[in-house]
Amino acid sequence: MSATVVAAIAGNTLRESVRNKIAYALLFFAIVMIGSGAIVSSLSYVESGRILQDVGLAAIRLFGVAIAIFVGIQLVYREVERRTVYTILSKPISRAQFLLGKFAGLTLTIWLQAACMGAAFAIVSLASGAPLAWQHLAFGLLVGVELALVVALATLFSSFTTPMLAAFFTTGFWAVGQLTRELRDLGAASDQPGLQAVTALAFRVLPDLQSFDLATEAAHGLPLTASDVLLPLVYGFGYTALVLLLAVAIFERRDFR
Amino acid sequence: MKQRDVAVSVEGVVKDFRPGFGLRVRRVLHGLSFRVGRGEVFGFVGPNGAGKTTTLKVLMGLVRPTAGRASILGVDVGETESRRHVGFLPENPYFSELLSGRELLHFHARLAGVPASARVRRVDTLLDWVGLRAAADARIRTYSKGMQQRVGIAQALVHDPHVIFLDEPMSGLDPIGRKEIRDLILRLRSEGKTVFMNTHILSDVELLCDRVAILVAGRIRYEGSPHELLEGTEREADVVAARVTPDTVVALEERCGARLRGHGDKVEIRVKEKSLQELLAMLLASRAEIVSVTPQRDSLEQIFLSAVEGRR
Repeated sequence: MSATVVAAIAGNTLRESVRNKIAYALLFFAIVMIGSGAIVSSLSYVESGRILQDVGLAAIRLFGVAIAIFVGIQLVYREVERRTVYTILSKPISRAQFLLGKFAGLTLTIWLQAACMGAAFAIVSLASGAPLAWQHLAFGLLVGVELALVVALATLFSSFTTPMLAAFFTTGFWAVGQLTRELRDLGAASDQPGLQAVTALAFRVLPDLQSFDLATEAAHGLPLTASDVLLPLVYGFGYTALVLLLAVAIFERRDFR
Repeated sequence: MKQRDVAVSVEGVVKDFRPGFGLRVRRVLHGLSFRVGRGEVFGFVGPNGAGKTTTLKVLMGLVRPTAGRASILGVDVGETESRRHVGFLPENPYFSELLSGRELLHFHARLAGVPASARVRRVDTLLDWVGLRAAADARIRTYSKGMQQRVGIAQALVHDPHVIFLDEPMSGLDPIGRKEIRDLILRLRSEGKTVFMNTHILSDVELLCDRVAILVAGRIRYEGSPHELLEGTEREADVVAARVTPDTVVALEERCGARLRGHGDKVEIRVKEKSLQELLAMLLASRAEIVSVTPQRDSLEQIFLSAVEGRR
């Protein structure tokens, strides 16, 4: 598979996304929320720096996911609906290259926006005297992986259904992904073998997104081990790759009528 | 046609769609077979819903055939490589409005594998060709329909393909735009390119195409050169004459098989082209005045309509 073609599609997707002003609206609100953390924290007598960072890190994660879903669900659908895909796929490129290029371009866009939010967070933290540590970098790294996974899910659903349904499915997967550990623990605590098996299977199939959330560790300066970062990193890239493989398999079979 | 002379080959292609929940099957193409030779301008003609665009999508790999096979320059259309030397202009093309015409062409040139060293010059040449040099850096959302069609043609030709597929290339264009496209097709033919053109416009087929296939309800009713198609039919001519005596009228009907209609002191006579000379001689001999002779120019249209109505 030619990486040049994937890079060309990714670059084009990035260029289009950067010029799409709608995505900036969510970025604007995210930065406003990060800034508002300084106001909220000033109302507290204790641990104002931690409150500021709790609000800011939550904003980065939630708005990052919202942008990923909002832009991602239209990713392939819009190309097919507007028939721009016809001229692209009439060139000597495979559908897998097209899909991977779109995914890479959008992930880069989301990472750029997350970096903007991160920069705003760092400025607000430094201005308020809240400490910045390497845990914040670890948080940023894992949020980046989580956002890539969400983009992959949006790409998967966008490749065969409408934006509305794709938004529903992607948001659903992300929300369930925040609860899969509780689901597994709930099943394990049950004395019904059937329920245990179902929850164990759900834990294996559904994404475990809690492992990407290091906001508490970053905001409170809690210790982190290398495995706290590396294991979610490997898991995230592996899960993303599987989702993309499934998306490609579905997209390959589609007829563009 | 020898195998090496074949640019496009379609053999027994069947396409079924499953509309709605997929409980019913709707067959759009019924075992379609035809070939297009290298260097030919091939017209694919048919009414709306005949399956022309579906056939083109099968050839572009956008739709998978249910059965049969198709190939371009000997490579199966299921393989990415089949599109290496192919340019495609879809009907009413649409491009990202956020890009400029130049950016779009550079993007498509990269996809098509045009080397970086040749890309700038190739894009500039094409912008000149299609008359978009002045608007090259404007966003496509500011382009008129004609300009979008032209940038669509430029992206189809950006890698100097051997085979060019055009889906209703005249659609929505004004007379000047249509003439430009016609000139472009003639230019491509003179360069030895193969052009496959879906169209409704029969005058273009007659003017541009070396061969034509008429598709009706997913089946090919006719395939051949426009000349061959017309040869198989008896063309007619309309003659308007004055001072035609009743005896001459009877003679014309009996000897030439002419059909006459009176218009005041003039008579309109429809006659087969093969009997035209004899009819004119009889009229002159009877001292009638010949006002006009008009060969019928819509014969291809008649053939087309006959094919659509299932009369032929």
